Amino acid sequence: MAGGVAIVGAGGFVGARLLEMSILAGRSDVVPIVRAYRSVGRSAHLGVPHRIADASRADSLKDALAGCDVVVNLTMGRPGDILPVTRSVHAAAVAVGARTVIHMSSAAVYVRIDRPGLPDDAEPQLDHWMPYARQKGMAENFLRERMRDSRPAIVVLRPSLVWGPGSPWVVGPARELLAGSAYLIGDGAGVCNLIYVDNLVRSVLAVADDPTPASGFFHLRDDENVTWREYYTALAAGLGVDPTTIHPVAQTSYRIGPRDALDTLRSGPAYTWLKERIPRETRTLLKMRLALARRPERETLHARPVVTRAMWDLQSTRYPLPIDAFRAAYGDRNETSFSSGIAASLAWLRFIGVHDPGLLALSA
Amino acid sequence: MQWLLPRSKRSGEPTPIAIIGCGAAIAGLHSGPLRKLESRGIVRVVALVDRDRSRAAALGRHFRSARSFATPAEAFSATAPALTIVASPPPLHAEHAVAALAAGSHVLCEKPMAIRAADAERMVAAAADAQRLLAIGMTRRMATTLLDARALIAAGALGEGVRFAYRDGAVYDWPVSTSAPFSRATAGGGVLTDLGPHVIDYLSALFGKPSVTAYADDGQGEGVETNCVVELAFPNASGFAQLSWSQPLETGLHIAGTTAELRLHPSRPDALHWRPRGGRWQVRESEATLARDLEPRPERGVPRTYYEAIYYQLVQVLRAVLYGESVPVDGEQGLMAVRAIEECYRKTTPLRLPWLAAAEQKLADERHWERQRWLAA
Repeated sequence: MAGGVAIVGAGGFVGARLLEMSILAGRSDVVPIVRAYRSVGRSAHLGVPHRIADASRADSLKDALAGCDVVVNLTMGRPGDILPVTRSVHAAAVAVGARTVIHMSSAAVYVRIDRPGLPDDAEPQLDHWMPYARQKGMAENFLRERMRDSRPAIVVLRPSLVWGPGSPWVVGPARELLAGSAYLIGDGAGVCNLIYVDNLVRSVLAVADDPTPASGFFHLRDDENVTWREYYTALAAGLGVDPTTIHPVAQTSYRIGPRDALDTLRSGPAYTWLKERIPRETRTLLKMRLALARRPERETLHARPVVTRAMWDLQSTRYPLPIDAFRAAYGDRNETSFSSGIAASLAWLRFIGVHDPGLLALSA
Repeated sequence: MQWLLPRSKRSGEPTPIAIIGCGAAIAGLHSGPLRKLESRGIVRVVALVDRDRSRAAALGRHFRSARSFATPAEAFSATAPALTIVASPPPLHAEHAVAALAAGSHVLCEKPMAIRAADAERMVAAAADAQRLLAIGMTRRMATTLLDARALIAAGALGEGVRFAYRDGAVYDWPVSTSAPFSRATAGGGVLTDLGPHVIDYLSALFGKPSVTAYADDGQGEGVETNCVVELAFPNASGFAQLSWSQPLETGLHIAGTTAELRLHPSRPDALHWRPRGGRWQVRESEATLARDLEPRPERGVPRTYYEAIYYQLVQVLRAVLYGESVPVDGEQGLMAVRAIEECYRKTTPLRLPWLAAAEQKLADERHWERQRWLAA
């Protein structure tokens, strides 16, 4: 195959939707690449052959990129893997003479958007408290240095919160709303900066289909400036949840607590080292014991909200990400509106049973 | 039932076990419980069979008495296992189980029992001919809440018009070593073949013999289904089972009648949740227990994790071998699930995925595997 579009990390949420949308749009040039056979399972319904490669090893990846002009890096994984994988994906793309590398970064590199008109190529915050965001920023800087090279073109996309069917940013708030533990910082006026997954996929494909893209950074978000209150209220309405059950949290300042210390510990190499040495049986038993604390009889309305540092930062965002640069280069790819996205997300929640009106509905 | 007694048990030795297929199911799930049983002198793994000798050798590090073999025939000519665990790829289950039964061994076959009902029937017939036990690995049967739920339903505690919804799904994460499970040609099916036996068997244990009233899945072309919904009718209940390899379903079984409803969840195999219609949920801790050793008057316990369920399942099968007690799921019961799954595939229609755009759903329908087959024919 010549001119293929390699999706490195095709087993993830965005990668799987990119593959599905491409196939259902009649494209035959997309090449899904995953680290292990298990990652094929999510998209096995499509009947599309996957290539197996370790994205952290350029030599392994190079073979899998055969025939591909465009390399889309959608790999996930531990924070510590982000920079080395970015390096090896770039090296493999160079080795096969790829035209374009599309690197999926994140607006998380900024902590929060606290000024209007933020340039698309603004520096990432390398002292970010979140290891994931720090590593994303370092990976961006590695690629920034290589943008001077004539080939491949490097397009770094900085989407905000990716939402829609399959997104943790849908199922998480939905579960909290149903459990009565959802909360809004201040009056919920923070800007949500959402990007619907299909809009993100269309943006990626627009870059992939450009025969002469220019290297650079691009913010991505939906067209509408949706606030957190508007987002939660729209979900609540579809779920049949009274929006007055959403807890208001005073917007003073975030106090770092034991949960943050635990999160920091869990994202470190020591935790990973230890986890890999605890037998799976023991881990299962521990998880089961933790699950005992989450019994249905405790799922009552007005449950206590658990404010996290990440959510605090996100809900404290005051400005929308500017997206004029992407639109000027690739056109408006935000075909799915907020209301359509909400409708699809609610349909998905019903499908997975989160919002199941109950067995009475089954009898209907 | 003297014929059931293995020679080794009569001589006071641990029961010799052969394992066919040393992949993820054995290495990841059975290995721990088997080691525990070995350390208690209850069993001894004597043969590890796998075409990939490196996998057998890797597993052999945990079982010092075991010898590695490339084929079941070699294993059966060199050892005399009283019980053979068949954990090879599902399309080979029938061949391997029949070989083990012909060699005089009892068999515990991992689910799915077989891909085709004809193969499952062959296995049942072979067990009858050899006068050996054929047990099917359905670990969910080890949840003691199943006994409690069955008692509640039998007593009419839920009232009339019993309906159920059984959801089971998450993004696929089983450590397979090939792409064979993801092709209809090699695996027979996808999530229905994988999780369907558990779910159908569990519902059958509660409600009796199932009949498939409707079935829809999302398989396209040569791919296998990653989402499916099967509507089932039983003598006194009806409802649906929804399975997924791609979506984080709200996993669990919800059953409701006119007067009460109950929920069973895999993370609570020892307690169910029950409430009268419109009332508050209550937790009912299970009082049922299972034998945990091979003594005539065994110690009893309750499995709380998947691994413990496998341990207890092995003990129940060994007790069936030793004392003629019932196996948790026999070949006939396994065959019932295989037949139901085969019926599903016969009735398949495209599944509606309500979040897709209309044009996408239309193309997905056109690419549906049954339609493609029909067009090809």
